[in-house]
Amino acid sequence: MSDIPLAYVPKAFKPVATEVPWVRWLLITLVFLVLAVLLFAPLITVFYEALREGVGAALTSLTDKESLSAIRLTLLVAVFAVPLNAIFGIAAAWFITKYSFRGKAILITLIDIPFSVSPVVAGLCIVLTFGANSWVGSWLVAHGMPVVFAVPGIVMASMFVTFPFVARELIPVMIEQGKAEEEAALTLGATGWRVFFTVTLPNIRWALLYGVLLCNARAMGEFGAVAVVSGKIRGLTATMPITIEMLYNEYSSVAAFSLAAVLALLALVTLVLKTLLEWRFADQLAAQHRH
Amino acid sequence: MGQPLVHKSPIPGLGLSAGITLTMLSLMVLLPIAALLVKGLAPGLPALFATVNTPRTWAALYLSFRLALVAAVFNLVFGVVLAWVLVRYRFPLRKLLDAAVDLPFALPTAVAGIALTALYAPNGAFGHIAKDWGFKIAYTQWGILIALIFVGLPFVTRTVQPVIEEIEREVEEASATLGATRAYTLRRVILPMLAPAALTGFALSLARAVGEYGSVIFIAGNIPLKTEIAPLLIVIKLEEYNDAGAAAIGIAMLLISFGMLFVINAVQVWSRRRIGNV
Repeated sequence: MSDIPLAYVPKAFKPVATEVPWVRWLLITLVFLVLAVLLFAPLITVFYEALREGVGAALTSLTDKESLSAIRLTLLVAVFAVPLNAIFGIAAAWFITKYSFRGKAILITLIDIPFSVSPVVAGLCIVLTFGANSWVGSWLVAHGMPVVFAVPGIVMASMFVTFPFVARELIPVMIEQGKAEEEAALTLGATGWRVFFTVTLPNIRWALLYGVLLCNARAMGEFGAVAVVSGKIRGLTATMPITIEMLYNEYSSVAAFSLAAVLALLALVTLVLKTLLEWRFADQLAAQHRH
Repeated sequence: MGQPLVHKSPIPGLGLSAGITLTMLSLMVLLPIAALLVKGLAPGLPALFATVNTPRTWAALYLSFRLALVAAVFNLVFGVVLAWVLVRYRFPLRKLLDAAVDLPFALPTAVAGIALTALYAPNGAFGHIAKDWGFKIAYTQWGILIALIFVGLPFVTRTVQPVIEEIEREVEEASATLGATRAYTLRRVILPMLAPAALTGFALSLARAVGEYGSVIFIAGNIPLKTEIAPLLIVIKLEEYNDAGAAAIGIAMLLISFGMLFVINAVQVWSRRRIGNV
């Protein structure tokens, strides 16, 4: 080893598959600057404006009757919308990945429609289907079950905008896992439900949780679709985002930003949990989330 | 073609899963969209066109589409740079930055809307600086553009990141040993590999920006013909109990959205054919 003359040993290995250092540092600085202005500044602003008159003022505005009823309604909407969409997501993923049938590609495209429809158009669709001017709507109103300007409409609007979330997380994972394990369990005499709960569900639980997390964050924070169907009745159909708008337009800045801060905290918790799932259970999530 | 609609399978639950899927899909998505089409098309196509054909509606549609396009182009370029930096470079706080990219997906649009307005209003932190330079951001088209860039920021980065991770370093090294400069390698070897995913992200970001409402209405100022976006016009028509007018604009926007969905699918098919299934 030591008889190689020192002159032949390169001083440092110069990598060819990357940019020169000054370009690298320029790009890193650029990325930090743009994200600081576009992402971090608005986030900090929410908390800064909420706490502008002290923690006490922020907490007082949150325990206000209007804010409390908004928080309660938003939780209620999520309690209905998220499990229903989770059930849909599981059923759709099972149907699409366990069987072969004609029109599968069309079905997947149809499930994806809500992603490319404006939330306001989504709300409009629900108003036109179930509003008092439609025949379904007038029948529902006559039987004491109004949908539009009432809680069911808000649940439907929230479900529409989050419709594909769970299915999209589960389908790639279930395609990758195949159906050999389920078939083995069946030949051993397990019933369909037993196969689902003891074989399939443990395999997809983290992907399911991932989808449910995203679905919940969007359902609790949905504004455009809910704004169209809610009618914005204080204490009855005003969710947290709707109440934020009303308070903001009345120049109750601290109250609006306090409620916004609660939703921002929810967003941060969602991001942390999502990142933890990506680190810890990457192999059990859809391939695009693996870093 | 003689093929059965559904192939026989030993796995139970076909009826139940197909039933839940098709019932919920029809009730939650297809029926409401059908209602929009029926309501909007009931007076006939000429009447529909007449409803849309007002200066105010054209201005709103043109504004929404134009600014969404500019925002999506910004997000395309910056999203590719961001993905490259996050995957290829090692620097402090990288993982924090990576996790933060999804903030626009997680943060409710109304929250983003009032925060951006507070920042860019003439008395806000950034708006104040702009005002000193004689420039107004909030309540102008610049404000709308910033909100649209915010909501569309993660799409391109998230579609491009996995593709960059898959690139074999050997390809770049081979290009370098054959005498290519780094810039030439990036342009002729790397960029073509990223293009399909980047275009998919671009289309998603564009579709999102065209329909965006919550983050925009606070910062827009909402002046008819100037800073009034198409979704807001739908809300205004509904508040005037003009269901047919709202439905007409809704159909116009739906056509734009479906056009984009078609482009996204076409891009995906094209990219699969070109570089294999990613």
